Amino acid sequence: MPDRPSPYDCFTVADLLVDYADQLLPPQQTERVAAHLAQCPACREEVVQLRAVAQRLEAVEPAAPAPELRTHFLQLLEQEKAALAATAAAPEARVRPMWPQAATRWALRIAAGVALLLTGIGLGQWNRSADSSAAATAPAAGPTRHALQLASSLSGEGAQRLSASDRIQLVSSAAAAVDTTKAADPVVQVLINTLNFDPNANVRLAAAGALYRLRADPRVGEAFTQSLSIQTDPNVQILLIELLVNMRERRATTQLEQLARKPDALPIVRQQAEYGLGTLL
Amino acid sequence: MPVLLSTNPQTSFPVADHYPSDDVLMARVQANDLDQLAVLFDRYHRPIFNYLLRRTNNDRETAEDLTQTVFERLLKYRTSYQPSQQFRAWIYQLARNAHADHWQRQQQLRTTDVLDSEQRGQLGASAFAAQDAAEHSQHLYEALALLPDAQRDILVLNRIQGFSYEEIGEQLACSAGAARVKAHRALQALRAIFFAS
Ligand SMILES: [Zn+2]
Repeated sequence: MPDRPSPYDCFTVADLLVDYADQLLPPQQTERVAAHLAQCPACREEVVQLRAVAQRLEAVEPAAPAPELRTHFLQLLEQEKAALAATAAAPEARVRPMWPQAATRWALRIAAGVALLLTGIGLGQWNRSADSSAAATAPAAGPTRHALQLASSLSGEGAQRLSASDRIQLVSSAAAAVDTTKAADPVVQVLINTLNFDPNANVRLAAAGALYRLRADPRVGEAFTQSLSIQTDPNVQILLIELLVNMRERRATTQLEQLARKPDALPIVRQQAEYGLGTLL
Repeated sequence: MPVLLSTNPQTSFPVADHYPSDDVLMARVQANDLDQLAVLFDRYHRPIFNYLLRRTNNDRETAEDLTQTVFERLLKYRTSYQPSQQFRAWIYQLARNAHADHWQRQQQLRTTDVLDSEQRGQLGASAFAAQDAAEHSQHLYEALALLPDAQRDILVLNRIQGFSYEEIGEQLACSAGAARVKAHRALQALRAIFFAS
C-alpha cells in the first residue's frame, strides 16, 4: 500500500497543476503528476477546481460594443483628415474640386431619390400618417421641412460643399432628431439614400450607425438588407452584417447567402456573412 | 509582399495574406493615410472593448468610454508607434493605460490620503466588488473582482481573450516563462476565491 503523500510531495507538483489541468504537460511530467494525484485527494480536488474555474473563464461570451462607438470614431477620423488636409494644402490646391469623379452620378441618384420621396410616395405616406387636418393643406412643415433641408445638404451641390466629416456630423444629429413615435419620418429615407449612395465609405458607415438607432422603423431592416447587395466596401459590408445580426433581421439571409458565396467579396467579408447566417438561421 | 486586397477567388491563402498586417496598416497611418485606421478600428475595437469590459468588472459604459479613449489616443499619438513594436501589444498597452488612468481617478474619489498605496489597492478592489455584486450576481465575476488588478488583467488576456503566454509576455514586457508563472498564480488565486466558503 502506497504511503500517504507528504506536504513535500505536493510541493514538488504544485507548479505543474495548472498545466496539468490544461493538458499542456509533456508525457513524462504528466505521468509524474498523475501518479501523485492517484494518492493525493487534496491535489486531485485542486485540479478539478482549476479546470472548473478555467472553463468558466473560457466560457465568457464576447460582448458587442454599441455601434455608436464606430460612428464617433469615424467622425473623429474625418476631422483629423480635414485638419491634415488644411495644413497640407497650398492655397491654390484648395480651389481644386475635392470631389471624386463618381460624385456627379452619386449626387444625381440621391437627388432623384429625394425628389421622389418628397414629391411623391414618401411625402404622401408621411402626410397620411401625420395629423390629417393640418398636414393636408399646410406647406412642408416640421419633419418634412427638416428632411428637405437635410436632403439638400446630403445630396447634390449642397453635399459637395460639405466635407465628409461634416456629412457624418449631419447624419448623426439628424438621426438624433428623428421623432421615433411618428411613423415614416422622411429623414429615415434620406439616411437610407446616404447609406446607399454617398461616395465616402465613412459617411455610409455613419449612416448605417445612425439608422441602427432608428431600427424600430421597419424600413431600416429592409434597407440594410437591400444595401448589402450593393455595397462593395468591406467595412460597410461587415458593419451591415453585424447590425442585421443584432437586429435579428432574418429577411437578410438570402443576401447573406449570396455574399458568403460571392467570389469577389473579401474572405473576411464572406466569413462575416457566414457568421451572420449561422447566427440568424 | 503584396499588400493590397486580393480579390482573386482562386487563391487559397488565409485571410491574413489577403489583408495587410496590422503593422503595415499602422505604417501607412503614420504616413498620414488615416483611412487605414478604420480597418484597424474594425479589427480591434471589439477585443479592446471586451478586454476593458472585463477589466472594469463588466461596467459597459466605462468600457465603451475607455475604448473610445484608446482609439482617440491611437489617432493622436500615432507618430509615437515604433514599427519594431507589435501593433497588438501596443494597442493593448494603450488600453491598459487608459484603464489605469480611470482606476486612478476612481481611487482619488474613494480614498483619503492617510492610506498607503497597498491598502488603497485592496480597498479599491473590494469597493469595486461591492459595487459590482449588486449588478452582476454571477459568482465568477464577483471572484474576479476580488483579485488584484494585475491578476485580473492577466486572466482576462489568457483565459477570456485566449492570448498565449508568449503573446502576454510581449504585452507585459516579460518572458513567456514569467507570463506563465503570473498567469498560473492568478488562476490559483481565482480558484481559491471562487471555491472559498
Ligand atoms: Zn498533493
